[in-house]
Amino acid sequence: MILLEPHNVIIQTTLVDKVAKPSSLDIQFVDFDGVRFHLSTPERKTLVQLSMNIRCWDELVKYGAMEVLQREYGSLIKSQAEAEYNVSLDIDLEQIPADEEARDNFIKSMSMFKRNALAAPFERAFRQQKELESSGQAQGELMQVHYRDEEAIYIQASPDRVTVIFSTVFREETDRIFGKVFLQEFVDARRQPSIQNAPQVLYTNRDPPLEIRDVPGLRHTEDIGYVTFVLFPRHFANAVISSSTISHIQLFRDYLHYHIKCSKAYMHSRMRHRVAEFQKVLNRAKTEVATTERKTVTGRTMATR
Amino acid sequence: MSLLAPIICDNGTGYSKIGFAGNSDPSFVFPTAIATRGSAAQPTRAGPPIPSKPGNLASKRGVEDLDFFIGDEALANAKTPGYAVQYPIRHGMIDNWDHMERYWEQTIFKYLRAEPEDHYFLLTEPPLNPPENREQTAEIFFESFNIKGLYIAVQAVLALAASWSSNRVTDRTLTGTVIDSGDGVTHVIPCAEGYVIGSAIKHIPIAGRDISQFVLNLMRERGEMAAVPAEDQLKIAGKVKENYSYTCQDIVKEFRKYDAEPYKYFERYDGEHSVTGRKYSIDIGYERFLAPEIFFNPEIYSSDFLTPLPDIVDGVIQASPIDVRRGLYKNIVLSGGSTMFQHFGQRLKRDLKQLVDRRLEASAASSGSVQKSSGVDVDVISHKRQRYAVWFGGSLLASLPEFYTSCHTKAQYDEIGPSICRRYQIFGSAT
Amino acid sequence: MSNSLRPYLAVVRSTLTTALTLENFSSQVVERHNKPEVEARGSKEVLLNPLTISRNENERVLIESSVNSIRMSIKIKQADEIERILCHKLTRFLMQRAESFIVLRRKPVPGYDISFLITNVHAETMLKHKVVDFIIQFMEEVDREISEMKLSLNARARTVAESYLSAFTS
Repeated sequence: MILLEPHNVIIQTTLVDKVAKPSSLDIQFVDFDGVRFHLSTPERKTLVQLSMNIRCWDELVKYGAMEVLQREYGSLIKSQAEAEYNVSLDIDLEQIPADEEARDNFIKSMSMFKRNALAAPFERAFRQQKELESSGQAQGELMQVHYRDEEAIYIQASPDRVTVIFSTVFREETDRIFGKVFLQEFVDARRQPSIQNAPQVLYTNRDPPLEIRDVPGLRHTEDIGYVTFVLFPRHFANAVISSSTISHIQLFRDYLHYHIKCSKAYMHSRMRHRVAEFQKVLNRAKTEVATTERKTVTGRTMATR
Repeated sequence: MSLLAPIICDNGTGYSKIGFAGNSDPSFVFPTAIATRGSAAQPTRAGPPIPSKPGNLASKRGVEDLDFFIGDEALANAKTPGYAVQYPIRHGMIDNWDHMERYWEQTIFKYLRAEPEDHYFLLTEPPLNPPENREQTAEIFFESFNIKGLYIAVQAVLALAASWSSNRVTDRTLTGTVIDSGDGVTHVIPCAEGYVIGSAIKHIPIAGRDISQFVLNLMRERGEMAAVPAEDQLKIAGKVKENYSYTCQDIVKEFRKYDAEPYKYFERYDGEHSVTGRKYSIDIGYERFLAPEIFFNPEIYSSDFLTPLPDIVDGVIQASPIDVRRGLYKNIVLSGGSTMFQHFGQRLKRDLKQLVDRRLEASAASSGSVQKSSGVDVDVISHKRQRYAVWFGGSLLASLPEFYTSCHTKAQYDEIGPSICRRYQIFGSAT
Repeated sequence: MSNSLRPYLAVVRSTLTTALTLENFSSQVVERHNKPEVEARGSKEVLLNPLTISRNENERVLIESSVNSIRMSIKIKQADEIERILCHKLTRFLMQRAESFIVLRRKPVPGYDISFLITNVHAETMLKHKVVDFIIQFMEEVDREISEMKLSLNARARTVAESYLSAFTS
């Protein structure tokens, strides 16, 4: 598995199970970036309530998350979200399309709940870019999404592109160095002829890039880095491409950290192998201890257990 | 940000139970299997794949170690050419650390979709797990995954904690005998105040797999299985075991009951041929009560293991220190799928009580003393969460506020190193 | 093997062989104790002069000998940040498993990356020249392993970056 998937597996598998056999339900779980979910059946077995808590909900609402969710889920959205959660859906299992493909699509869209909420600022930026292009204005507003405690996404539309900036913090020395190697490759990768059309990636360590230099409250420490993606209009030319771009770019941070962890795991297996090799060499040095069998007078052997 | 729920990972020999604390059931239960590239016959002939020179994307070299599946997907890919299924855990202990590390990697990122840096983890270990294994586990979780905090709990202790959910348990004690019967093997483990009495543990080579096989044998002998395709037979035997079996109190009476009124007690199972779609139905008879009977009369199934379960439990408790024996008799806890038979607990309790009372009488008679023993309480506790008792116990303990203070944190690990996991703190019990 | 590495290893090998002249020696301080004198440092008369062999400022070996034990410490080449962290990870991983590497010390001597402690007991139960072989091979391979790990990290990073970016163009 190289790429991460945009949908949540627990929502998907649970709903598939419950469609087949409704029963009462009450589970809490998470998704990347501290998103909390709660699946429950507060009223009856066939009415499943799915609630979500996102750290940066207020910001997302400001950038039009409610409209996006309204478009995706329509009347499923409850007017009053469950306590402690930001938004709730009511899924009536009896209303789910009976046709197998439609049902799968429906469940899939449920499992994309987080993705859709987080898509709002991106969609807004893409729209803004179009407007700016025709009107010829200079810059769109800078949207900030503080999706983690110390990290944020900044999105800004310009007449010819949309700039997405991730601030990343590495809590550990090893991660920081590995991360640097990875990010450097992200910057260089575009030289490959096959992916010339990919978004341009820039990486700065410590100092924030020009676009967000004026944002208050930025830290200037060694462990922080800024990754800039420059999305060109071809990356959101039509609905299909833009939605896949959004799903993809949202998971950038998780993708990066996933791979840093995988490479550490890979290093571990290399080192385990190396240890075994060294062990063999050292064992060659050991002299064969002569184990003559010692017997008592009666002919019994003395074995050490 | 409020604390995110801790993750509970119970990796067993057969199945892994994984989920978030606070829930009553694990979110994922799938086989502890990993399908990797390369043949199973020569697992580590050249060690991990060494990537070729950087720069050739076409072959995706350098990330071969990401090309694998776990759980149900692993079994589904067992027949795909180039993949081989391996089981990284043997007899409850981790056997192949490379595979296990990758198994966890995908569990966390693909299934749980959690950023390990934000979570505490509760892992389980079998009794008598060598401390080196704990250290290696800690090394993986803290160094590869940078998790926030780690607690490694003994499975038997978690099973005891799970029994607190039963309304018959009033004092939350961690003293008791755990009978843990899964798919491969059955353990009887005495625990005193949260610590396992290692010297007294006994293993019984009869568990879920054997019961299914036994049911299959019985049904074959009666000729019921003739209509069933060969590849489905074991699965059907497993279903019969799970859905129709119960523990009887007296085997002779039960046989008589069945013979007198066969229509009342015999059940019918309707199946469908998985390939041809042909319908068939089979009768289910004596195996309904004979299946669990192999715990109490093992001679009906096996020829080399003949000690009934109650005798083993009694032996285990008698081998434990004298000052905890009362506590062990009073709190016998069942855990694992193979203890789910109806009335299993009652039968065990009755047989064990008989053994204990007989011994008391004998000792009273042989001492010739006038004083009488006040008797020993024997109680077997079964509860609703028995099937995933270990996981549930973990979920219960990890939702207590003390959990966070009992965990080893990343900072502590960085300070002291993996040896920190050699010591652990018992918490949660009321005493 | 590069040209300067060969004489370096040759010197280490012959020095080590010479230094491995150990005998059983009871402690002079505590009765019925027998300690590696190079660690205990109980009396000056049983310690020999320590010796450093350097290939360059980043790579050197320190051999401290005494009557019944020698301690050998290696400083491994670390050209940049990545090699430093990889070297740290590798040596830590090895030392974590010191139990099975009988002659490995659990902690390096300050200023070095990894240390070995060979006592007279080791010299008696193991073939001396094979122990020396082991250490020389270790020195050879550790450098290679670290550079291979670095290469593989880079290769991985590239594949990862390319697969991520190519998903945008599809």
